Amino acid sequence: MSEGGPRDPLARLGEKIDKARAERVRRQPVAADRTNLQQGLGLGLRIGIELVVAVVVATGLGWAIDRWLGTRPWGMIVLFFLGVAAGMLNVYRAVTRVSGAVGYGQRPGSGAGSKRWDDEDC
Amino acid sequence: MAIEIHPLEQFQIERLIPLHIGRLDVSYTNSALLMTIVVVLVTALLVLGTRKRALVPGRWQSLAEMSYEFVADMIDTNVGHGGREFFPFVFTLFMFILFANFLGMIPYSYTVTSQIVVTFALAAVVFIGVTIIGIVRHGFRFLRLFVPQGVPAVLLLLLVPIELLSYFIRPFTLAIRLFANMLAGHTMLAIFAGFAASIGLLGILPMGIDILLVALEVLVAALQAYVFAILTCLYLSDAIHLH
Repeated sequence: MSEGGPRDPLARLGEKIDKARAERVRRQPVAADRTNLQQGLGLGLRIGIELVVAVVVATGLGWAIDRWLGTRPWGMIVLFFLGVAAGMLNVYRAVTRVSGAVGYGQRPGSGAGSKRWDDEDC
Repeated sequence: MAIEIHPLEQFQIERLIPLHIGRLDVSYTNSALLMTIVVVLVTALLVLGTRKRALVPGRWQSLAEMSYEFVADMIDTNVGHGGREFFPFVFTLFMFILFANFLGMIPYSYTVTSQIVVTFALAAVVFIGVTIIGIVRHGFRFLRLFVPQGVPAVLLLLLVPIELLSYFIRPFTLAIRLFANMLAGHTMLAIFAGFAASIGLLGILPMGIDILLVALEVLVAALQAYVFAILTCLYLSDAIHLH
């Protein structure tokens, strides 16, 4: 008699959750796509400013050093180039680290990459 | 008959309760008011949301739990081992910025995060905190962060300044990214709204664009909070797990 189905609402809920979980695992690729999109957007918004700010801040710092030490224009010139380098380094780091975390590199040549991006374009 | 458009008027700071300590102006402004509301709302959501402690969460508890899990996930994937002890810090930052951005989307309210003072203060807290954590954890070895490994000594002369610069630029990028995004977005909204008001019937076109822009701004509001939090995580991970 007791086999007819769990009367306990908690047990029933547990079954429901298990079912939903199984369902979710089945649709995992979709979920992965969504996190990819989210991280991609986040990354895109990040790196644009990374380069600009590095150059501007470094050049400003150079200008301040010049004013302080009276070495115009050398501090500004040197720090401008250092700023460009630092900005590029930051962008490079941002791109390589996040791609490593998301796992772009983990599925080489599976062909899934291009398909994923098509789905996300909409 | 031209309607005056002031797209930057929305960023005006107003003293609601003038207060002075000595020469220091510590007036309670509209910006401070919004920040208070943000703090109250976040606290209310979390305290009231989790008050029932239901096994099956209701709407509010779900919301509170989802935000908790979102940030906890972010920390686990980006900081990894030993990151959970910084959960309260990252979570507070994330919720504060998220709510400040969203409240700014309400017409006639005020966008706290469009003030560089606010975003830079947040970024400075992150930067100084992360640096202190790194120094406490690793002591003198923390400076190795600025010395790339396996590089000829001559190149170090060039690379160490670059690494130093790229480290000290972090608070600026962190602050300017959030500030610039909010400022630009809200200015754009106001400009298009101004068009809509000033060109009569044709104003329906900029109005439509404005509606789309509002949707975009909602996305930006959430995304910028996410970016700020995730960068905090990455910086923390740098300081904890020295390469």
